[in-house]
Amino acid sequence: MRVLEIDNLTKRFGSLAAVRDISLKVETGELRAVIGPNGAGKTTFFNLVSGLFAPSAGSIRFDSRDITRMPAHQRVGLGMARTFQITEIFPELTVFENIRIVTEVAAGYRLRPWLSRTEKADLRGRIEELLELAALTDKTDRLVGELAHGDQRATEIIMALALKPHLLLLDEPTAGMGDQETYEITQLIRRLHKDGKLTIVLIEHDMRVVFYLADRITVLDQGRLLAEGTPREIAANEAVQNAYLGQAA
Amino acid sequence: MRPSAMLQLVFFNVTNGLIIGAFYALMAIGLSLILNLSGVINFAHGGFLVIGGYLAYTLTPYLGFWGALLVAPFLTALIGFAVERLLIRRLYGRDPLYSLLLTFGLAFIIEDGTRQIWGANGLPFSVPVALTSPLSYQFFFITGYRMFMVATVAIVVGLLFVLLRYTRIGVRIRAGTLDLETVAALGVNVRALRSLNFAVGIFLAGLAGVLAGGQLGLEPTMGDGLLMPSFIAIVVGGVGSLTGTLLGGLLIGVASGLTAVLFPSASEAVIYVMMAIVLLVRPQGLLGEEGMFT
Amino acid sequence: MTAGQQRHLAVLAAVWAALLLAPYWMPLFGGYTALGSRVLVLGLGAMSVNFLLGFTGVLSFGHAAWFGLGAYGCGLTLKFVGASTPLGLLAGALVGGIAGAILGALLVRRRGIYFAMVTIAFGQVFYYIAFQWSSVTGGDDGLRGFARQPLHFELFQIDLLHNDVSFYYFVLICFAAVLAVMASILRSPFGRTMTAIRENERRARFLGIPIELHIWIAFTLSCFFMAFAGALYALVNNFADPRMLHYSLSGDFVIMAVMGGMRTFWGPLLGAVIFVVLQDYLSSVTVNWMSFIGVLIVLIVLFFPRGVLGLLPQRRTA
Repeated sequence: MRVLEIDNLTKRFGSLAAVRDISLKVETGELRAVIGPNGAGKTTFFNLVSGLFAPSAGSIRFDSRDITRMPAHQRVGLGMARTFQITEIFPELTVFENIRIVTEVAAGYRLRPWLSRTEKADLRGRIEELLELAALTDKTDRLVGELAHGDQRATEIIMALALKPHLLLLDEPTAGMGDQETYEITQLIRRLHKDGKLTIVLIEHDMRVVFYLADRITVLDQGRLLAEGTPREIAANEAVQNAYLGQAA
Repeated sequence: MRPSAMLQLVFFNVTNGLIIGAFYALMAIGLSLILNLSGVINFAHGGFLVIGGYLAYTLTPYLGFWGALLVAPFLTALIGFAVERLLIRRLYGRDPLYSLLLTFGLAFIIEDGTRQIWGANGLPFSVPVALTSPLSYQFFFITGYRMFMVATVAIVVGLLFVLLRYTRIGVRIRAGTLDLETVAALGVNVRALRSLNFAVGIFLAGLAGVLAGGQLGLEPTMGDGLLMPSFIAIVVGGVGSLTGTLLGGLLIGVASGLTAVLFPSASEAVIYVMMAIVLLVRPQGLLGEEGMFT
Repeated sequence: MTAGQQRHLAVLAAVWAALLLAPYWMPLFGGYTALGSRVLVLGLGAMSVNFLLGFTGVLSFGHAAWFGLGAYGCGLTLKFVGASTPLGLLAGALVGGIAGAILGALLVRRRGIYFAMVTIAFGQVFYYIAFQWSSVTGGDDGLRGFARQPLHFELFQIDLLHNDVSFYYFVLICFAAVLAVMASILRSPFGRTMTAIRENERRARFLGIPIELHIWIAFTLSCFFMAFAGALYALVNNFADPRMLHYSLSGDFVIMAVMGGMRTFWGPLLGAVIFVVLQDYLSSVTVNWMSFIGVLIVLIVLFFPRGVLGLLPQRRTA
């Protein structure tokens, strides 16, 4: 089954077309990387898929369901979660509190005035599972705003994971990170992919990460789809190399 | 009532309404300028109106009415500039609550200060006789002063719009309202721009104060009654649109005037009713844009 | 129990002890019991504003409207419907709360500066109505002709009108009840979504939280609390007045919350104490008390935005 089917997606801001006629399909369990030079429209694309704003034209189908006009929070309910280019977490709360909010919402408790003992215990178990996945167990009571960049990003990723999505959108997860942190985040993503059978779409600039993780790669340039294929095909693609004009490839 | 007398009454009230509306618009536009560019809800706007009026009063013996009319708004703007530079500027990065509270506190200080300096009782403000005589017997209610007020407002607002459209600073202010980050990235000194914008807004308040003084006399609390209609003018006209604010001010003035014909005691309430209607039917205001300042 | 938790409980115990014994220690400082009742009610008002402002991060500046509605609701009920204190309180809370729910539904899509402005303007609508509809509300003179009714229990009565101390304890019980509700909401999963919205609205939305709905609920709850406080205030004074609806009172509540500490639970009560004491003292000492309050506000906003309790090193609640 196709998790994501996108047809002729277009977004215009005034006379500027940020994204033009993009069509692609992502299969279940795939790890797709979306790459392209700066300004190619990658984040706008993500914003359209996740529902930050509506497209000017085209359609988006998620699990065979048309979600083109659906508001963001409903898409989350259907099983789509995302992270942002600039880490979006709750900076003045602890790691534990950050994850707790998400697990409570994911469990459908968001309007509850209280929880039973079993419910609390179940949630606690889930939170600890997630913390272990990202190796954050020893940092659970630290304020997220005070953590290192890599740990903040890891927190954000497991927050997205806590929503039990079957499509995870990661916007430049290794942005601004050094080698060690990049390695750790990459390993985290790999664990999520292999173990959870999750479908992941990932925007990335770091080509080592892209080639290490991706099943397929989509290349965008100036808002349009430039090429699509396996990592090997893309590496050999001249048009892609030209588009990058010598940027890290 | 005979039709022509009824018509005359309506005409009287509409004209009256337009005059009031011009006044509301003047205040509201200043408020709107500051709100749009800096995101500050200036609760002290009424206070600056009061300062403008009282300064004019103090200057009149030295500069005459016309001199005071010219100088007082500039002085008020200068005070506004100082306030922005020293106090408000520190709060830009923070929650808008804080600048709102600051101006709220300033309003207290200004009101009390005015009382301290000029006394708690009302002061009469003398206007040249030439202006107070009515234009004609038929239109006895349109005194020269009122016409003068409207004319002044029209000229000043007109100048402002020209400034905003055609001068470099004006363009920067308008661009800054839409996207301050980009404007800053283009190398414009955003801090100076904000200070200047604030001063312009306060200039308008000061001018309104001089004009109001001539019409109603001076009192330390006179700013209060004009602050609310200014907010409503902005809400009705559309947050983010100056033309909308102008329109909003005129509309509520006219509505107020017309209601005075049929339900005299409700003429104040009608502007609130208008706001309620606008909120229900078109929440972004008449000329406002969806998504501004959400 | 950790040391921190022990300390927390000790402080809490001290606060409640002070509140319970107020009629006895206040006179030592030149206070009097009725002042204590007044401060409690205003503190409750400030805490209700804080529920929305400090805990959800929504800028609403027209909260006096619900306070005033609660006051008039209570007064009018006592005057025209039935001489029963609990009924008056209930009516006041309902009037303000339901009005808030309706208005909130209309406004909730627009927030930030816009919300603040519109809530102020709406407050003024009610102010205006209270002023003009003098046949019912008494206009500028305020609504009079009602008074606190004794509480009837099966075997005995408690006189609230003439006995300041009994009334104080009655207010304290009401205060405690509302506080209990507020605290439990803030500690609940729903309360945590409020915090999430305050901390990072975008992230909250992308967690699947329907922001507008949650803000509306928080708004409505705070209006109920506020209206209840207003109803109590009418009882404190045996009187309701248009000034209880005016935006300057809204401003006072916000100042109390900010002064005491916006992100804390008890901060607004502390702020109310400071504010009332200061206002009382200043207005008896100088004619220019307004300037002093104004300067104080400016100083707090510039230099102490976290308020008094914010100066203490502390973990935020919930």
